[in-house]
Amino acid sequence: MVVETPISSDLIRGHIDTIVLGLLNGQDRYGYEIVKQVGVLSDGEYELKEPTLYSAFRRMESAGLISSYWGEESQGGRRKYYRISPDGRETYLRNLEDWKRARTLIDRLVSGEAEKE
Amino acid sequence: MEAIKYYVKGAFVGVAETPEVLEQQEELIADMTAKVADLVADGRSEDEALGMAIASMGDLSGLVKEFATEEPAQAAPVVPAVPEPVMVDVEIAKLRLHTVLLCAGGAVAVLFVLTVLGALGGIGGSVVIADLLLTLVALAWIGVELFRFHRNADEIATVDSARGSMKRPLLQWVAVCAVAFVLNLALDSDGFWAWAAWIGAAAWPATLWVRHKLIERGMFLHPKVEAEPALDGAVAAAGACG
Repeated sequence: MVVETPISSDLIRGHIDTIVLGLLNGQDRYGYEIVKQVGVLSDGEYELKEPTLYSAFRRMESAGLISSYWGEESQGGRRKYYRISPDGRETYLRNLEDWKRARTLIDRLVSGEAEKE
Repeated sequence: MEAIKYYVKGAFVGVAETPEVLEQQEELIADMTAKVADLVADGRSEDEALGMAIASMGDLSGLVKEFATEEPAQAAPVVPAVPEPVMVDVEIAKLRLHTVLLCAGGAVAVLFVLTVLGALGGIGGSVVIADLLLTLVALAWIGVELFRFHRNADEIATVDSARGSMKRPLLQWVAVCAVAFVLNLALDSDGFWAWAAWIGAAAWPATLWVRHKLIERGMFLHPKVEAEPALDGAVAAAGACG
């Protein structure tokens, strides 16, 4: 369990939707599963907070990018699963493309001076 | 884990318990319960695990606020609310000043012309004096309205009360005309100054008519305020006029 967030969460905040959509792209997941998965994928460098995640869920659900359903009972109680919609998949792929282009661009921009010399 | 339930429910205090809110609470409780279980499995004590789970949950107020301001409408796409008809009041002080300036000013001009014409036409004496008196009354009326405006320039009235009724000023006008006519007969002065009185007094119903038209065109309107002073200018202005 991560206690600190060394990476500025501002840098990540704008990409929460894409991150969540990416995690839902392969399989339906419930909230805590995504929180855990983000911890694992980031090697503990970034901790996704539940309020942030559920705000994103609500936003994306009302935009039709994801849907939700209650799963079967587990030992801790029932779980709500989230499923990506075709629209959501489209948004995810587009965001991914945007990010790749932005990443290259930002790399060039922030290291521009060093390269000139 | 009752503590988790209390923590989550506590964060939602003051928010109506819609099915949507209850489901969100259920999700958060399940998440925290699973998190605590994971931490305990890692070897933490239950108290320690609970503290860590609460700390890592972060600030719930932002999420709670979303439920407090939004109506439960998750399944269907959000339908834009039909805008309610905007309730308006009338900036009565400004409206009254403008209409009175217009009408009383017009009356002063007409009376002045009549006075000059009367004097030139050899109709002197009582006619000229009567016209001058009426001009002074009209000027006094403007003065009174200016004073009222200065005292409370932001006065507001409902559309209905601002519109006023035409009946009363028209009756007053008829009364003024009748008095002038009778006086005119009694003084036997060619009927000229009676006309002046009729025209001068017509300025009063005219202000209301102009006011009516201006309100109809949506001028001098003001967004609704909670209090309705509902001041009727008829009495005071009529006093100044008659």
